[in-house]
Amino acid sequence: MFNKVLIANRGEIAVRVLRACRELGLKTVAVYSEADRQALHVRYADEAYLLGPAPSRDSYLRGDKIIEIAKKCGAGAIHPGYGFLAERADFAQEVLDAGIEFIGPKPSAIAAMGDKIVARDTVAKAGVPVVPGTEGIGNMSDEELLAVAPEIGFPLLVKATAGGGGKGMREVRSIEEMPALLQSARREAEAAFGDGNVYLEKLVEGARHIEFQILADKHGNIVHLNERECSLQRRHQKLIEESPSPFMDEELRQRMGEVAVKAARAVEYVNAGTIEFLVDKDKNFYFLEMNTRLQVEHPVTELITGIDIVKEQIRIARGRPLGYAQEDIHINGAAIECRVNAEDPYNNFMPSTGNVSHIIMPSGPGVRVDTGVYPGFTITPYYDPMIAKLLVWGETRAQAILRMRRALEEYRIVGVRTNIPFHQTMMDSHRFMAGQYDTRFVEERFSMEEIEEGKEVHPDIAAIMATLAAHRKTEEAAHVIRRAERDTSNWKWVGRWERLHR
Amino acid sequence: MKYITSIENQEFTIEILDDRKILFNGKEMSVDFESVSGGPVYSLLIDGKSYEAYIYPVEGDWEILIEGRLYPVRVEDEREKRLRAASGGRVAESGEFLLKAPMPGLIVSVPVSEGQEVKKGDVLLILESMKMQNELKSPRDGIIGKIRVKAGESVEQRQKLLSVV
Repeated sequence: MFNKVLIANRGEIAVRVLRACRELGLKTVAVYSEADRQALHVRYADEAYLLGPAPSRDSYLRGDKIIEIAKKCGAGAIHPGYGFLAERADFAQEVLDAGIEFIGPKPSAIAAMGDKIVARDTVAKAGVPVVPGTEGIGNMSDEELLAVAPEIGFPLLVKATAGGGGKGMREVRSIEEMPALLQSARREAEAAFGDGNVYLEKLVEGARHIEFQILADKHGNIVHLNERECSLQRRHQKLIEESPSPFMDEELRQRMGEVAVKAARAVEYVNAGTIEFLVDKDKNFYFLEMNTRLQVEHPVTELITGIDIVKEQIRIARGRPLGYAQEDIHINGAAIECRVNAEDPYNNFMPSTGNVSHIIMPSGPGVRVDTGVYPGFTITPYYDPMIAKLLVWGETRAQAILRMRRALEEYRIVGVRTNIPFHQTMMDSHRFMAGQYDTRFVEERFSMEEIEEGKEVHPDIAAIMATLAAHRKTEEAAHVIRRAERDTSNWKWVGRWERLHR
Repeated sequence: MKYITSIENQEFTIEILDDRKILFNGKEMSVDFESVSGGPVYSLLIDGKSYEAYIYPVEGDWEILIEGRLYPVRVEDEREKRLRAASGGRVAESGEFLLKAPMPGLIVSVPVSEGQEVKKGDVLLILESMKMQNELKSPRDGIIGKIRVKAGESVEQRQKLLSVV
């Protein structure tokens, strides 16, 4: 059994895993890139080793170097975190071949779930519902597609095989309009990707993205830790997650939970994993994919179940059986997570880089912040823009929303623009409060400019503060020139003036 | 000093009497205004009420962020206001707009060409940074001037990318 763990990651998740190891009394090893010498994970770990230059491919993606370091320092296990090497079956296999424990699933399970078509096939065989479509069949002619369309049912989507970014995608409402739409989709796909092949997929209307966290030990026990609602996304990036989902009822939860466990069992899954589903407005649900790793939003589940998922991952890797059965797992209260990103919500969510000079973190009852950023930290363009995960717990969903509003207003980050105002606007949105949202809400029906009824605004205070700031700036400039007149050395004041205006 | 301060189409007259006193639309108010740790975060105590805001200077104007709401503010003294009124207030709508890289990154594509007519909000360029593709849009109607970069090129922060005339 291992007692030293290497964490093959950076940022908040490396810190999160380090904390779990420390609480379990395990020694920790950090790896880092040249850009991360001063990062928290390097400073918190018992040992730290340099991987290489800042770009991920030269550092955090260098599986060979990571395994070499683990061997050299005697780490008995590697935790991959999320992203980077977390879902690479070849890396997991190399770790095992080196005689090191991989804190995650078996390479075969990663591979099975990593290939979209194989994953769909595997879970469908186990009786798990998938979004009906022709993606797994291969390239089909217009005649074949038209013949199979009524079986899938309308409305449906025509999607480009080589696709992405909505290019070559068409929404089809009836068989009559389908031939023309097929033609235009093929033309667009051909122009965009040089490949005119398309497939059909049922359009899930008003879709919600709801996922189930599962834990599986090495002795065949699998439990689920209930759902996480992740529908609030922008360009497929999750922004806010919560549990329980305001959309869920006990009967649906039980059915989806059972299916999630079934999907995990289909690939003989071990360790923590997540089954993602699309759920339509009539509560039909479809398997989307399985994430064979720890997820960014795992703390939401930790807050409502009281289970430390990262510690469980380590215990499972050490061969311990789960200490509880499905009926021992309960939901207590409600939890919400806001991902605080260095992005400007007033400027098309443009990433904002720079030095974070000052931070005031929210705290107090029911608040948790997972972060790798501290005053003096520089947000670089090399890695993702997440600064922190701000989580709150409340006795009810309403209490959690009120607490999140309070915590967001306490949070002060100076040096980069953040999406905190986006989260504040969302927490005030009546649609969010009522739980009436789907995966298209942020992109299609949400506006930063809209003011909800009853929301207090302060244009007068803004005007006064801007005026005072402008006045002070004018005065300061005047002040320097007056002082310069008295100064014996003109060069000295030129230097000062330049420093002031740099 | 007397200022005319405007937010969208609201106008306020604010006179600074001294460090602690202002006239707001003719009404005297006591103020205590301090920067927190020298940063863009400011604390304002006004007639006993406490507010905190981020204050950002942006191209001669100001952006004030209070309780999750951003207020674009223009502060002018009477002379500046007269000058702008005389020029018809259309300064921002004319002249060359130079698009600069807001951050270092990789040019993914430039969907416009020199001499092309563009509308406000049209995508001028796609820049990849922090694993995200970002659309840089035109702030106004115009014609594409010189394009200084092409797809596949890496750019530094504030590097000139193209112009709209």
